[in-house]
Amino acid sequence: MVNRFFERNLTSVRDLTRADFELLFNVTDKIISHHATYDVCRGKTLGCIFFEPSTRTRLSFESAMLHLGGNTIEISSILSSTQKGESLGDTIKIISLYSDILVLRHPLDGSSKFAAEMSTKPIINGGSGTEEHPTQTIQDLYTMKKEMKKIDGLKIAIVGDLKYGRTVYSLLYGLSNYDVTIYLISPESLKIRTDSIYEIKKKLQILESTRLDDHLDDLDVIYVTRIQKERFQDKEEYFKVKGSYTIDKNVVKKMKRKSIILHPLPRLDEIPHNVDRSIHAKYFKQAEYGKYTRAALLGLIINNGFVNDISS
Amino acid sequence: MKEANLLVRRIKNGTVIDHIDGGKGLHVLHALDIDGKDGNVIMIALNVLSQKFEKKDIIKVENKFLKEDDTNKLAVIVPKATVNIIKNFNVVEKRCLSLPDQIIRIFSCGNPNCITNSNENIETVMNVVDKKMLQCKYCKRILDVNKLTCI
Repeated sequence: MVNRFFERNLTSVRDLTRADFELLFNVTDKIISHHATYDVCRGKTLGCIFFEPSTRTRLSFESAMLHLGGNTIEISSILSSTQKGESLGDTIKIISLYSDILVLRHPLDGSSKFAAEMSTKPIINGGSGTEEHPTQTIQDLYTMKKEMKKIDGLKIAIVGDLKYGRTVYSLLYGLSNYDVTIYLISPESLKIRTDSIYEIKKKLQILESTRLDDHLDDLDVIYVTRIQKERFQDKEEYFKVKGSYTIDKNVVKKMKRKSIILHPLPRLDEIPHNVDRSIHAKYFKQAEYGKYTRAALLGLIINNGFVNDISS
Repeated sequence: MKEANLLVRRIKNGTVIDHIDGGKGLHVLHALDIDGKDGNVIMIALNVLSQKFEKKDIIKVENKFLKEDDTNKLAVIVPKATVNIIKNFNVVEKRCLSLPDQIIRIFSCGNPNCITNSNENIETVMNVVDKKMLQCKYCKRILDVNKLTCI
């Protein structure tokens, strides 16, 4: 089997084909089903560069690298020379000297694309501004495939902050590889940025609405997003839309029997904790899959033979 | 036309860019990296009354034959412009402008959160979608060329 990921950057979901997703899903399945750790990354170091807070992405990358026998080093904006005014470009050049692969989270759009040009080692985008979060999409699509047994044919609502949520844009680009119907549900002020989905608008069947209730009995997947308070210039605007959509027990009752709720997390008030026990709630499973999908990605980028090793 | 009636004199050899939208002549110079440092004579006429347009700009660069890659940039910046290559006072080539794949350094990205608008040492690169739309290579936003500002 050909390993198309070997020594490649992953800065955007736009770079992934359906075959790429399928390869990642197959490798993830193998990693999960073998119940074993691997040595494919032994002697290799993952450099984690996080200029924004992160729990799941950072820890799942670290955990994935350890699962594959590798090591991690970490730098954050607080403890790094960026506090002394060092540029991102220089920071990337330096860390790439000490690592075999890097994951970058940064508040600016296009930061990982730029970092990939500065780095001598492969770069993975761990979240760039309001632009993209490709590895979140890999785990989102994997969760859909795993929990719904398919992606083609699904009716998927993406709910909440569609303007600032970077996971939304990556997810839409990822879904453009599949035959799905998408419902974009948001307050008027948080509608999708059309200049960011220009290339896929014609490929996707999209329905835009402000009302989730009208579509509940039709949906297979409800992908809920947090309103991104930190990205609002005007905090009053945030309070106007805060709590616009709450997936509480009353909403859950109206959902199709086999439909699922996903969330890239962290959540605030958009999904109350008493929904966690519902059979529809798959967001913690989704977070768990994040470790294994990232392990699949790291293994494929670092080790050309991983795709064959894991098949044997 | 008699020489005396010409706003800028004819050139013997070089490139003439005519029918530039009024006011965009200086952008064209910037886009083509024409700064006069090579010692060639450059003639610029801004806001010339025109039959086709209300006002137009004209640039004549003596002893310099602009490359096709350079003049193609004009297809996005000033699509109505014409480019003539002059040799021995005669027009030897009326160049058709075709869209380039990329435009480097000329426009700022319209997305304020784009890495190219930060303090990083980075040149803007716009992938050309069509005559009206560019895509920032870094943040991937689709941008209306008429709303962009030159660097």
